[in-house]
Amino acid sequence: MKQKIIIIAAIFMASPLLYSFCGFYVSKADATLKNKTSQVILVRDGNRNVITMYNDFKGDSKDFAMVVPVPVVLQKNDIKVIDQSLFQRLNDYSAPRLVEYYDENPCEPKRYYDKAISGKVAGVSLNEKASNLDEVRKDYGVKVEAQYIVGEYDILILSAKESSGLKDWLTINGYKIPKAAEEVLDPYIKSNLKFFVVKVNEAEKKKLSSNFLRPIQISFTSPKFMLPIRLGMANADGDQDLIVYAFTRKGRIECTNYRNVNMPTGNNIPLFVQKNFGNFYNNLFTHQWHTENDNVSFLEYAWDVTPANFYHCDPCIATAPSEYDIVQAGVWWLHQDWNDYRDIDNEDPSTMGNKNVHFTRLHFRYNRNSFAQDLQFQVTPNTETFQARYVITHPATGNFTCDAGVKYIDDLRKRRKKELFELTNLTGKGIDNWQDVANENVENEVNNRAQYASILPEVQQLENDSKQSKKPLFFLGLLAIGSAIVLKYKGMI
Amino acid sequence: MMQPILFKDARYFQITFQIIFLSYGLMYLHWQSYWWLYTAYVITSITTQLFFEIVSKKHKSLLLSKIGWHNFTCSLPSVFISALGLCLLLKTNHLYVAIFAAFVSIASKFVFKINGKHIFNPSAIGIVAAIFLTDKAWISPGQWGSGIVILFATICFGSIIVTKVQKLDVSIAFLASFAILLFIRQVVFLGWPLDFFIQSLSTGSLLLFSFFMITDPKTTPNHFMARVVWSILIAAIAFYLMVFKFIQGASIFTLVCMQPLVPLLDYLLKGKTFNWQYQQAPMINTTRTINSSTIQF
Repeated sequence: MKQKIIIIAAIFMASPLLYSFCGFYVSKADATLKNKTSQVILVRDGNRNVITMYNDFKGDSKDFAMVVPVPVVLQKNDIKVIDQSLFQRLNDYSAPRLVEYYDENPCEPKRYYDKAISGKVAGVSLNEKASNLDEVRKDYGVKVEAQYIVGEYDILILSAKESSGLKDWLTINGYKIPKAAEEVLDPYIKSNLKFFVVKVNEAEKKKLSSNFLRPIQISFTSPKFMLPIRLGMANADGDQDLIVYAFTRKGRIECTNYRNVNMPTGNNIPLFVQKNFGNFYNNLFTHQWHTENDNVSFLEYAWDVTPANFYHCDPCIATAPSEYDIVQAGVWWLHQDWNDYRDIDNEDPSTMGNKNVHFTRLHFRYNRNSFAQDLQFQVTPNTETFQARYVITHPATGNFTCDAGVKYIDDLRKRRKKELFELTNLTGKGIDNWQDVANENVENEVNNRAQYASILPEVQQLENDSKQSKKPLFFLGLLAIGSAIVLKYKGMI
Repeated sequence: MMQPILFKDARYFQITFQIIFLSYGLMYLHWQSYWWLYTAYVITSITTQLFFEIVSKKHKSLLLSKIGWHNFTCSLPSVFISALGLCLLLKTNHLYVAIFAAFVSIASKFVFKINGKHIFNPSAIGIVAAIFLTDKAWISPGQWGSGIVILFATICFGSIIVTKVQKLDVSIAFLASFAILLFIRQVVFLGWPLDFFIQSLSTGSLLLFSFFMITDPKTTPNHFMARVVWSILIAAIAFYLMVFKFIQGASIFTLVCMQPLVPLLDYLLKGKTFNWQYQQAPMINTTRTINSSTIQF
């Protein structure tokens, strides 16, 4: 049987003060927002994997350390450091987006038709420092399989015989393993994983002009396609966000041991969200996450980014990743080195030679309670595009005295009512929570009747009247009871 | 006259529960709905069945002959079960792949058969053919999540189905041996905490497979011992492929590979051949034809 599914292994870290490999601020406006988000780039084809981990460490670089379980002993040329701006570009390109449309005034001749785009959730905030490395001591059943200096990092590859030895070794060498992570060391060791341990080499660090710790990229061959998040569940009470950017030759990736859910998309939302889009999206994400029982993989973006193709987004909110970016992310099949047979041996024969590149962005929010297993993925042949996209519409302005104009105002009012309901449905926050934002937004140029401020009380009233109805559940229950009655009647149960 | 007989047929339970599962997926689990895909599966399955009925049967004037028409309508539930099986599991972006999968499902019943029993589970062979031959289709093992609710629902619904056709032994043998192997590997050997193991086991895909796919009485051995051994073998191979070879959806692939063993086991160990309507009152004119090959799924 042909081996279809595959995967690798990978990430994580633990150390003195810090934790995992990445993070970005979504918005500083709301105290409930997550300010730590890990980011990883995965590249996968056949059995070959490239993983790039973004490093968001802030603080004294001598406190920095990272431990990543990997399936094989990596060679020096399997480890690289790359420019961290790549993460920023991928995030900008694939972030959930706000799209704006303009109404035309039906009483005036056509003046303009415009479709503009704006809005992204967030910028990645980048800055950190670096530092030095402790001497490695021996024993504890821990074997140093290899030792390299790559860029500003000292890298050790360890194998261990038992978890207590590894734990002691890491503790003595200054890596503090969080309690939640201890329980997974044993399974990792017994699964024959190696430990990729990183610290900053101060001497090398000083040679660099930049003060950032650059992302580390590792590549290896393994049928496993997974991300070991368990080791990174540092202080287990918090939820951690993880964004996965994946490049494959065949199509989207999806999670195989958690449910995959598409983010709601294409919804019409009120105009005033424009100024609060980051806030809106975070509320939306949190609400959807709870709705889906806290343990799903959210799809935020999927597109064909093959350099030879023209459309890499529609609408584009930022420059699509260039061929250079894609190669830097680790996509090896665009510029294949025909002398490197490792690549060829591990290729999926069905896609050999084709230079397609499919991009997927997945967003996880995990904690120890709802994510008992590491993330496992598969590459699917699904080439459908997807984007998390929200629509705002600017009303027409001017004089609406003609018949069509009167009708337009009525329609506008109805539409805006729907938008307000959509807003509360998506974010799970009652209209009261949006009142201030809506009222703040003065709309002098819009007819009185169609202003959000004048529609709000009505929506509020309706919202109070209608209790949260569980319609689908009701119908499903009815269906079950109905069939039971029929079967009972027929003497089958 | 027809109504009570149809309701005696366990296939109607199965169709009902498949529809409930599909609705559950679409409404609660927020699967993306592909109506064109579901339509393609159903229409292609029915058309293929009709085509093979006409081609493979003596009665050329199928729609004019009473027996031919009756044969066809009696096989419709099985066709729907296969088509719904595809709707629940197989995903693709391409219409031709959907048509191909549904065609293979139904055609396999007419092409691969020994002694009136078809060899392959139609949905399973359709899925495997589409995935390996076109490379444009996939299954999503994670689509059901690991919610505890679906665990109970599946077991309850599934038990009803399989007890109706008296093959609960297959589900239990498969599930129990798979669970034991997984427990030994994950908890005893690797030392993962218990919730890791529970997540592996409460996956909706595994439960649905155990209660709805492997149990198909037409493609399991007739003899009790043969069924149990055969199920344990499938569990062991699927476990190996999943745990050591990292193949997703290993159980379906294993099932398809193991189904050709069934005629051999039936030859070695004689047992009572299953018939969907063996309990019903004889239908004087049509029983012979029905028994021979039409009522299959």
